[in-house]
Amino acid sequence: MTATRLVAVLPLTLLFLLPLVAALVLVLPGLLDATAFASMIAHPQFAGALWLTVFTGLLGTGLAVLTSLAIVHAAGSRDLSRGSGLFLAVPHLSLAIGLAFLIMPTGVIARLLAPLLGWTSPPQWVTTQDPWGFTLIAALVLKETPFLVWAFAALLNRDDMRRALDGQVAVARSLGHGPMSIFLRVILPQLLPRMAGPLIAVLAYSLTVVDMAVVVGPGQPPTLAQLAWTDLNDGDAATAARGGAGVLILSGLVLLLIFLVGAALPLLAPLRHRLLASPPRQDAKLFRLLIILWPAWFCIYGAVMLVMALQSIAAQWPFPDLLPQHATAAAWLRLVQDSGPFLTTFVLALATAMSSVAAAVAWLEWAPRRADRIAALVAVFALCLPSLLVGLGQYRLFLALGITGTAPALFLAHVLPVAAYVFLVLAGPYRSFDPRWNAVAAGLTAQPLRFLLRIKWPMLKAPILAAAATGFAVSVAQFVPAQLAAAGRFSTLPMEAVTLSAGGNRPLIATHGLGLMLLPLVAFLLAGWFGQPRWRMR
Amino acid sequence: MLNRRRLLLTTAASLFLPVQTGTAQAADWPAIEAAAKGQTVYFNAWAGSDPINAYIKWAADEMKSRYGVTVEHVKITDTAEVVKRVRDEVAAGKQDGSVDLVWINGENFRTMKSEKLLFGPFSEALPNYALVDTEGKPTTRQDFSESVDGLEAPWGMAQLTFFADGAKVAEPPRSIAALTRFAAANPGRVAYPAPPDFHGTTFIKQVLIESAISPAAFSKPADRMLFSSYQPVWEAMLDALHKSLWREGRQFPKSQAEVTQMVADGELLIGLTFNPNEPANLVAAGTMPAGTIAWQHEKGTIGNTHFVAIPVNARSKEAAQVFANFLMSPEAQARKNDIKVWGDPTVLAVSRLAADQQASFANAAAPGSVSLPGPALLEPHASWVPLLEDAWLKRYGKG
Repeated sequence: MTATRLVAVLPLTLLFLLPLVAALVLVLPGLLDATAFASMIAHPQFAGALWLTVFTGLLGTGLAVLTSLAIVHAAGSRDLSRGSGLFLAVPHLSLAIGLAFLIMPTGVIARLLAPLLGWTSPPQWVTTQDPWGFTLIAALVLKETPFLVWAFAALLNRDDMRRALDGQVAVARSLGHGPMSIFLRVILPQLLPRMAGPLIAVLAYSLTVVDMAVVVGPGQPPTLAQLAWTDLNDGDAATAARGGAGVLILSGLVLLLIFLVGAALPLLAPLRHRLLASPPRQDAKLFRLLIILWPAWFCIYGAVMLVMALQSIAAQWPFPDLLPQHATAAAWLRLVQDSGPFLTTFVLALATAMSSVAAAVAWLEWAPRRADRIAALVAVFALCLPSLLVGLGQYRLFLALGITGTAPALFLAHVLPVAAYVFLVLAGPYRSFDPRWNAVAAGLTAQPLRFLLRIKWPMLKAPILAAAATGFAVSVAQFVPAQLAAAGRFSTLPMEAVTLSAGGNRPLIATHGLGLMLLPLVAFLLAGWFGQPRWRMR
Repeated sequence: MLNRRRLLLTTAASLFLPVQTGTAQAADWPAIEAAAKGQTVYFNAWAGSDPINAYIKWAADEMKSRYGVTVEHVKITDTAEVVKRVRDEVAAGKQDGSVDLVWINGENFRTMKSEKLLFGPFSEALPNYALVDTEGKPTTRQDFSESVDGLEAPWGMAQLTFFADGAKVAEPPRSIAALTRFAAANPGRVAYPAPPDFHGTTFIKQVLIESAISPAAFSKPADRMLFSSYQPVWEAMLDALHKSLWREGRQFPKSQAEVTQMVADGELLIGLTFNPNEPANLVAAGTMPAGTIAWQHEKGTIGNTHFVAIPVNARSKEAAQVFANFLMSPEAQARKNDIKVWGDPTVLAVSRLAADQQASFANAAAPGSVSLPGPALLEPHASWVPLLEDAWLKRYGKG
């Protein structure tokens, strides 16, 4: 019995819980430096950065939640999970790079307008790096909406949810409620409480993102995450300490905002009561327009990818020309010839995703159910913390162990967020597995292991593969922890992409942006294909 | 053994005679070369430029075939990251550090030197150091007015240079005042990268020098008191310029490379670089048109030297020295000087080389070469940098 417990708990503890706790224990005391805090608060850009962070983070999250709800509502009973999986494969950094190529003053949209408006030099419009951070908000909404749609869809696909909702929706319909009315009164109140994890993850991510803000965010002032990241990398010890203080302030801000948003939601109760007290209603015609939202997402992502593909082969592309003058495969050849970063990224993603899935399955299968809450809470907590803080803590841990710049350090740095995501994605579907199958199998005298191998895991292969693909994508996108742990000994695709974006060679930037996208895309497509029931695969 | 060598080096260095230096270390140079064989040098170098990366690749291949030394180019965006990494490693007691050689100068050098994070002195004992033009190029011994003391080996020369498409900029502005008038006539088409980007910081230093009547004071260490007497004029000059900059001086491009890309796109009219041959290099690469012109300010622009240094906890100190010596060799320097390769000016005294070696340094006048040169001005002492950057952020960093 104790042996089973150990098998159940040990892998996730070693990969995730222990390193996280050790990282935090090592990093926090060093950051509690009064002088550094005072100098961060006295930083001329601090107030502006704080405001910008709160503004972009809250507005980005709020809009993403509203849009995703509109999309889920408009889809009705259609299953959105497979389509939204494709969006998950696009890393934040790739989307930001592609979006910039689309909307900057020399971007494709300006080139399309140029002949109409007689422009010969690029317009002086303010798109990327706008002082309000609207481009950053747009990028966040574009990226986070499909994630939320995917999370909603996964929830609606669960057997227990579907069974409960189907009946309730039928009742509501027979009482004369239109689809929007049903959505607001019946579906939404049951969805939202179960969505706390993904919603918190989106808010935390929007507040703390570094790579996306570097590419499309403003610089004077930048967001707090960018400000802290620049300071952290400074050669001067006092400035680096100021960056550490910035990271801690950012972490506090995230926790505070999550708490405030959570506390503010009950204030909306009167509004909800008024809605519930109103008589059944048919939908306004306008709501039907929501149906175009989801296809619009496909169009925007398609345009972004197309522009990146064009840019990746453009030898010379002077301004008003709609297409590049010459095509060249030089950038792609570079990616192939200098294949180290690509392979490192691939091997890391495969290793972290597989070990995380194994650890999560072991935990969910054999650990006591009470322990789930702890693991889930720690996972959500880990995702709330800025990757800056966790990355810095891990770096201190690796320094103390003397393993910076080694393969194990790189693996541990990547596996931490991967394990958190995989556990959160898998926990719901795994726990909602109908226990009556157990009873049936036991009645047919199947041994426990045989039951797992022949019945339970095959039946759960879709969510297990989806969790693996998610983990793979999360690993591919890691920048901050990877950069710190690698100590220059290893290079991964996001590290190359960020380094290159400092150099301004657009074909190379575009190639790496697409390369970053390709790996998770293949993973999600494979997961989708093998995740189908066997009869559909033939 | 190590102490004896250090003793010899300091004696040699104190004589200021390259020939003496040569004989002083001649005895153990073969030993260093022998020890270097089979070692791996992790060379941490800024990697934002394709021609530079390609040149480092060439040098790495040569090291492998000539000395059996493996050179790995660790691509970084900001040398400050390396300073921090070495400091963290040394503090954690890590002896086999992750950095063997780093491309460095200025403030980062001063930090590493003052925190005793550098190995050496070694550079003046390298055989090829005898060829360095220490008299004609005093910045090879004074890095941002900080004494080098043999802790870094000179690699290349730099001078702030401006460039533009000659078809769009008929008369290049050759002072900050002229640049301000040019910007006023072309609002929104001039920009410089935001400090602490290296080029952005250099630009505001150039403004400081041009705003002062006697720039001699800048070669001495600065303090707030001294700076405050120069600050109002400096800020007035920047204020006047910023009014007509890109985005009215409220946002700034994030790097020099971004400015260059925007100039190539026609979004900006004037670019800036620390490598006088970069504009010609950009023409050769097809990024800028053949009519590109390059210039320096009439009364001069800031010039300096960039170096390579070995951290105190480097694992392959021997191989790092062999590589540093190779980078200073006439062959490697001539190739680096070639506009078609990189175009980075040499640190060597070309006139002291053999005739055929001298010929290898001749760059045919290429389109985009500097047509209006100005004298090289000494960098202000590195201690001015934090004062300038802080004042700049306070005044212009809030959008």
